[in-house]
Amino acid sequence: MSETTAAPTRADVVEMISGYRAQVSKADTEDLDSLELAWLLHQAEQRYGVELDLDDADLSRMYTVAGAAEVLADLVGGRHDG
Amino acid sequence: MPGETHLSSVVTEAPAGGEWVDELLLAGADGELALWFGAPVDRRSLRALVERRERELVAAGLAPGGSVSLRLPPSLGFVSVLLAAWRLGGQVSLLDYRLTQHEVDQAVARLRPQLLVQPSAPVSGALRALFDVEPAYLPQAGGEQARTAHSLIQLSSGSTGPSKVIGRTAADVISELERYNRIEGIPQRGERAVVLASMVHVLGLVGGLLHGLNAGVPMVVPQRATVDGILKALAGGDEPTTLIGVPSQAEVLAAVAEPPDLPGFRRMITGGELVRAELWRALTEGYGITLGNMYGMTELGVIATDIDGEHRPALTPAPGIAVRVEGGEVLLGRESSPYLGLVDPSRWADGWLRTRDAGELDPATGRVTIRGRLDSQVSIGGLKVDLTEVEQTLAEAPGVDAAVVLYDEGIQAYVSVSALVGPGEIDSWLRERLAGYKRPRAVHVLPALPRTSSGKLLRDRAALRSAARDTHN
Repeated sequence: MSETTAAPTRADVVEMISGYRAQVSKADTEDLDSLELAWLLHQAEQRYGVELDLDDADLSRMYTVAGAAEVLADLVGGRHDG
Repeated sequence: MPGETHLSSVVTEAPAGGEWVDELLLAGADGELALWFGAPVDRRSLRALVERRERELVAAGLAPGGSVSLRLPPSLGFVSVLLAAWRLGGQVSLLDYRLTQHEVDQAVARLRPQLLVQPSAPVSGALRALFDVEPAYLPQAGGEQARTAHSLIQLSSGSTGPSKVIGRTAADVISELERYNRIEGIPQRGERAVVLASMVHVLGLVGGLLHGLNAGVPMVVPQRATVDGILKALAGGDEPTTLIGVPSQAEVLAAVAEPPDLPGFRRMITGGELVRAELWRALTEGYGITLGNMYGMTELGVIATDIDGEHRPALTPAPGIAVRVEGGEVLLGRESSPYLGLVDPSRWADGWLRTRDAGELDPATGRVTIRGRLDSQVSIGGLKVDLTEVEQTLAEAPGVDAAVVLYDEGIQAYVSVSALVGPGEIDSWLRERLAGYKRPRAVHVLPALPRTSSGKLLRDRAALRSAARDTHN
């Protein structure tokens, strides 16, 4: 799935964040902290080959897995079924 | 300097004239790189830009001894207006561009600048580290000439009530620049510094921008404050490169599995709290760099450093800084009070400034180890947030009965409400009044806040967490 160029889904977000969480021994939760978010943005940029530019409202929606998936889907793929 | 602690309506002293700006900051060969803000800026073009800003400030009515507030995001606009206003002999107060309009209005009412300089169009871009702005100069009705000799005015989160107003004279800033030059291992001419610390706060402003201009160390600011943006900035030059940032940035960089080849990258220095040992190891080994720490405060600038992380967690006081520890609190020598207006008089007395930081001094080495805050301040991404301010703002929201705000994996707020107010309304109240970095990660609405047997609000993390869990279930 990591080779897909389709819009990111919730599962993609979980996958992108899990490596970081394993490294810092942090449990899987729905909430993302600011470091996890920074990491997720980095992973998403690499995986989808984009430079993200977010406004404050988008960014503030990204502090949950579901919200992050929605915002990334809008920015990267324009799909809304995350 | 008598009288500095009192705001007097009679102007007895004026901010310094601008010679120091030319001599210490702008001087240098025309072609020498001064800054790298997405593109190279050499000294000749920086001087030309500063002169242009000076004409704009004069046209807007600023004269020597005048006062101006800057509310500009990190940008060449910010740097050029700041230097131009100083060059004119003005007093410059810095407002963080992330402050809400409400916070800016409060600051302006307090500082009474003659001019407010802000971007001519709204800026956006939450991941940007650098902006492209055209300054707009807004004369303020009721603005006053500088009332003190300070060239630089900054607001700092106060431990209770409104923020403190901190003033620094040009002489004080110059002595900090001299201190930087005498710190062993600090970047020098021929090196470059990638600066992630905000240039409106003391570490980024003096340690990054002003030291860089003074010592010939170009300040490189990445376009975006993302991992990719930081790595690109680090890769952008072969000169020995120092990264100046905060621990959270070190944390994310350390997680990069295969960092690109960064031949110039030599060291990272973080301000704020010490990074944990595991992270220190991951970052230093992963990038083949050293990771050091700096301790400073708005009132004084840089205080103590461990540039290459050799004495973790101890820090060597910067040359000329007197440190002592009294009752577990770190005290610093400062000739006069840095505070303007009314302030808790115990903050500065008899030449000593109370830091409210806990610490220890090793008499054998003279090094100091900082052990955290003695009050309610926390550091969020390197920015100081006073939890009391957040709590008071929340408690004033319509329908909110009581509030407890504490730090527990981010800022957490617990409130009880008397009327029918939803989290959305509380959220928009906070949005209007508090900059984003000060706002709670979560606002938990509880039917009643847990209290002690004597009726005081309980501040126990575990108890509040479990009360919130019970409410949600």
